[in-house]
Amino acid sequence: MIKTVFFTGITLAFFYILWFNNFFAHRERYEMPAQYVKIAEDVKSYAKEGKQLFEQNCQACHSVRYDAVYISSVQANPKLKTLQEKYGKVLPRDVYEAVFYEDLNALKESFGKVPPDLSTIYLVKGKEYLFNFTLEPQKVLPGTSMPAVMTGRPEETAKIVAYLKSVAEPPPEEKSKRVLMGVGTIAYLVVMGVLIWLWRSRVLKRMGLH
Amino acid sequence: MIGRIGRWIEDRAHLSDLWRSQMVEYKVPKNLTFPYAFGIMALVAFAIQVISGIFLTMYYQPDVNRAFDSVNYTIMKEVPFMWLIRQVHAAGANFFLAVVYLHIFTGIYYNAYKKPRELTWIVGWLIYFVLLTTALTGYLLPWGQLSYWGMVVTAEIPTSIDSAPIIGELKIGETISLWMKGGYEIGQITLGRFFGLHIWLLPLILLVLVSLHLYLVRAAGISNPEGVEIDKKKEGVPFHPYITLKEGAYVMGYLAVFFFFVFFHMSHFLPADNYDPADPFKTPAHIAPEWYLLAYYTIFRSIPDKFLGFVAFNLVLLLLLLLPFLDFSPIRSARKRPLFLVMFIVLVISSMALTVLGTMPPTPTNAMLGLLFTAGLFSFFLALPIISLVEWGWYKARGGSQT
Ligand code: HEC
Repeated sequence: MIKTVFFTGITLAFFYILWFNNFFAHRERYEMPAQYVKIAEDVKSYAKEGKQLFEQNCQACHSVRYDAVYISSVQANPKLKTLQEKYGKVLPRDVYEAVFYEDLNALKESFGKVPPDLSTIYLVKGKEYLFNFTLEPQKVLPGTSMPAVMTGRPEETAKIVAYLKSVAEPPPEEKSKRVLMGVGTIAYLVVMGVLIWLWRSRVLKRMGLH
Repeated sequence: MIGRIGRWIEDRAHLSDLWRSQMVEYKVPKNLTFPYAFGIMALVAFAIQVISGIFLTMYYQPDVNRAFDSVNYTIMKEVPFMWLIRQVHAAGANFFLAVVYLHIFTGIYYNAYKKPRELTWIVGWLIYFVLLTTALTGYLLPWGQLSYWGMVVTAEIPTSIDSAPIIGELKIGETISLWMKGGYEIGQITLGRFFGLHIWLLPLILLVLVSLHLYLVRAAGISNPEGVEIDKKKEGVPFHPYITLKEGAYVMGYLAVFFFFVFFHMSHFLPADNYDPADPFKTPAHIAPEWYLLAYYTIFRSIPDKFLGFVAFNLVLLLLLLLPFLDFSPIRSARKRPLFLVMFIVLVISSMALTVLGTMPPTPTNAMLGLLFTAGLFSFFLALPIISLVEWGWYKARGGSQT
């Protein structure tokens, strides 16, 4: 009995540390005022506005390919439409980089590197980092070639973050559908498990094996 | 109609005879404990990986320019329900390894590797080894930053052979490393061969090995928590329905936990940094292997000499393979062996500590702790022959009885 408790406990603790909360591993944390967290999380209300703000402030340098948003000079290029008819709205990366090499290379020459595509950046960095970095790039990443374009506009920055979130994550309706699916699946499995167990007790009783 | 078709097939294939002889007349001990279910859970996990993996190959593109988008756009956003398949496959790999580890530790605890089951153990070890390779090759496929840089680090490890005195001259390590990568850097060739290995060769080998493992389990009969061999004619209970329903219920519980992770907690199995496309010019801040390799990794990096570190972690694998021969005691199962139980606890704590240490930064204190637990791990294997000798003494003194 004591052995069962010990081994079960140590195994659960082990996987808890590995898979839930590793308090031994080092993690950077960034502060973000609560009112802006609220905006950044509210995709439904702010993603649309965020996209417009993105187009005004960031699109000169950054693409969001998974939302078919390309850098401004590409967006103005008539070739884009032809290519999209052939490949779909989201162009394959190699096609995009080869056809619009000139535009991307011009950015590379000004900034030392092509500014990254921001399709999945929300999943990589999280809202706190994005908020702080966009607001004050030099403070978060000293020496970065990204200019401070949003200085003094935290609310609009939070809206851009909401837009990036909306591109990276499934839309809210889809998310709640998934939650429902998950709960349903788990409930089904638990009920089946219990039913099998009860049925087994009956079968075993009949067989005199209890 | 369906009944008639069923009878038609039955008259020709005699499936119910097969069922009766293999499932009902097959007798197993009545006192099997919960950990015995890890075997069937591993089998379920394997099936889940194969099925979800086949669906993933329909949309995945093994091309360095498109792999990342095919995973993160086509699979995760475009095609309905493929996000679910990917999450099942990613969580499934971790669960498969977790269950296999639990299965291995169960086998060690009950001494299930002893005669007549040495071969079952050896085949099981091969499964474990091939499984690690499968996981490693699969990890590269999404072509994210972690995929890429994890492989850069892994492909460097064999080169530590080259720092050895005489054999270092032969550059064996570099050859292995080149052979893994298919060239001097990780690129299209690497991705192509890893894809081929991951979806064809390694799963086929696994399929053969798992079949062999199951056959051997059948051939030797299931071991017993008390360490005694039962007289299967008199004492055993019919495998069906006694065990099938019991472990069937456990499997439902296992799947419930599994799907909890699939739907609600994927942040560990699809880590944030891997949503960043692979970039050979940008080294990420934290590169460490996946948790199932961390114990080996900690051993490797705690030992100051690279070559010795390499030897040490391979030695652990080798000792694990040789376990049935290191432990030659006539007494079976930790329930009957207090000395063995103590060393088993040392083994469990050392391997868990080494794994957790692998997630921490390599400070000098952590390196010291790493060495300490490495010693703990080896002490388990080295103690086995000694315990065996002592227990032979007890066994003889008792006139050859187990207790
Ligand atoms: C004038 C060009 C330019 C504009 C406009 C611009 N960026 Fe950037 N951005 C860059 C460059 C260059 C980098 C690469 C910096 C580096 O890696 O040091 C970058 C990097 C980033 C990163 C990645 C940071 C990281 O840690 O890797 C994010 C996120 C980002 N920008 C967001 C934005 C947002 C949001 C906007 C609009 C408010 C924006 N940028 C506007 C040039 C620009």
